[in-house]
Amino acid sequence: MSSYSENNSIQTFLTELGGLSRFTVQFFRELFRPPYEHKEFLKQAYSIGLNTLPLIGITAFIMGLVLTLQSKPVLEEFGAESWLPGMVSVSIVREIGPVITALICAGKVGSGIGAELGSMRVTEQIDAMEVSGTNPMNYLVVTRVLSTTFMIPILVFYADAVSFYGSYLAVNLHDFISLPLFMNLAFDPLHFYDLIPATIKTFFFGFAIGIIGCYKGYYSEKGTEGVGKAANSAVVISSLVIFIMDLIAVQLADLFNVFMR
Amino acid sequence: MSEISEHIDQNETLIEIKNLQKAFNGNQVLKDINLTIKRSENIVVLGKSGIGKSVLIKCIVGLIQPDSGVLKVFGREVTEMNQKELNDLRTRVGFIFQGNALYDSMTVRENLEFPLRRNKIMKDTKLINELILDVLDSVGLLEAIDKMPSELSGGMKKRIGLARTLILKPEIILYDEPTTGLDPLTAREISNLIVKIQQKYKATSIIITHDLNCAKIASDRLMILHDGVFKAKGSFDELKNSENSWVRSFFETV
Ligand SMILES: Nc1ncnc2c1ncn2[C@@H]1O[C@H](COP(=O)(O)OP(=O)(O)OP(=O)(O)O)[C@@H](O)[C@H]1O
Ligand SMILES: [Mg+2]
Repeated sequence: MSSYSENNSIQTFLTELGGLSRFTVQFFRELFRPPYEHKEFLKQAYSIGLNTLPLIGITAFIMGLVLTLQSKPVLEEFGAESWLPGMVSVSIVREIGPVITALICAGKVGSGIGAELGSMRVTEQIDAMEVSGTNPMNYLVVTRVLSTTFMIPILVFYADAVSFYGSYLAVNLHDFISLPLFMNLAFDPLHFYDLIPATIKTFFFGFAIGIIGCYKGYYSEKGTEGVGKAANSAVVISSLVIFIMDLIAVQLADLFNVFMR
Repeated sequence: MSEISEHIDQNETLIEIKNLQKAFNGNQVLKDINLTIKRSENIVVLGKSGIGKSVLIKCIVGLIQPDSGVLKVFGREVTEMNQKELNDLRTRVGFIFQGNALYDSMTVRENLEFPLRRNKIMKDTKLINELILDVLDSVGLLEAIDKMPSELSGGMKKRIGLARTLILKPEIILYDEPTTGLDPLTAREISNLIVKIQQKYKATSIIITHDLNCAKIASDRLMILHDGVFKAKGSFDELKNSENSWVRSFFETV
């Protein structure tokens, strides 16, 4: 019995993976095929920004603040307080900023896309688009995936900046340090071989959020619960994929560092 | 039908279906469908729920791929069309969805504009606007133009769905249960609207319905779908007075 259900879950995992791969191939085929839906793309990008800006801002600010406050005593013990901004900035830029932003977007944007496309599928709006001579793959999927792919990196920059500011305030709770000096200390240990892999991976995070949300919504099961399931599994799967991608990115970034130094 | 007095167009076959089959994971929904529809003919399809009526008309616009058989619309095989040809076909064949399928993120106006702008049929905003007003007027809902679909009642949604299809002036219109879920009065209004549209746009139509009133006033011919085939064909009165009690049972009212 247990081996049967194990088999079953492996099977569903594999069919899911196959379906997602086919969907991705289809995405790239449509990507370069006109018509190019700039209007819908901009609309989506704008709404992603608008919907996530406050949440990402608050979270990033708190992360910067907390990280600084918690690291402070440890560094003080070693008498290395001046390293504080640098240490925090490296962890924000490399890890905290990209991952926190991606996870928030998976929860907010990914589930939104899954639910929207899911309900459009269930109420036959996607079929209606098709019969009015519009390729829904092009109009709905390509625009959404592109907008997450380009918006998440921008949001990560924003999150990094807000986090830095949180960290600066945290340092200033106890000591006085001017913003230029803080920035100097923060940027000193950051090299472009920190920034480049950290930025590249955010594009992949954005792509994963978009394509998984679209895939789950586009092939949503009929019925109202299908929509809920689509939204839910979009969040679960894309969060998981973000962590796995992050793991791979760390390894690749290390290799990159070795070669660049 | 006296062939001499009719316009020659009337004999043109618009839809030709032969031995059409479709199964979903072993569930044989359509087994052997044969149907020929000439220009300006109005066919009503009756049949129990879940018997495959929606599947049949979705095949006609290429939303569902049949497994085998001949499926010609305007003399061209639908299953062999490429994307461009399918799009052309779909501007000539209107489809009214069972659940309206209005785009709920768009206003009524944007819903109506969508098929026009997408098909690059029209770019001139003034012309588009005129057309929208004209088509809204023919379904009697001018005042709803700036509403969102969620603000409309069930009957209003049906009409807007109808308007969105009519705006492309299709030669063939496929109606999927246009009056289901409406009160008898509104249902009758929609049925009359369908007849009006048939006359005004000279459209050919397939109407799927459970509504006998609608079947009576809108049909030239009726077909009863059962077990994947058309079990009975004929005019409304022929089928209503059929010797077969099973056929008659479709026409029994309380
Ligand atoms: N895309 C699909 N995938 C799998 N099965 C389907 C699909 N579409 C329809 N079916 C199945 O085909 C059968 C016929 O469905 P269809 O929607 O055509 O019924 P219907 O005659 O229109 O019924 P109703 O009057 O309730 O609308 C059903 O058993 C349905 O489960
Ligand atoms: Mg149906």
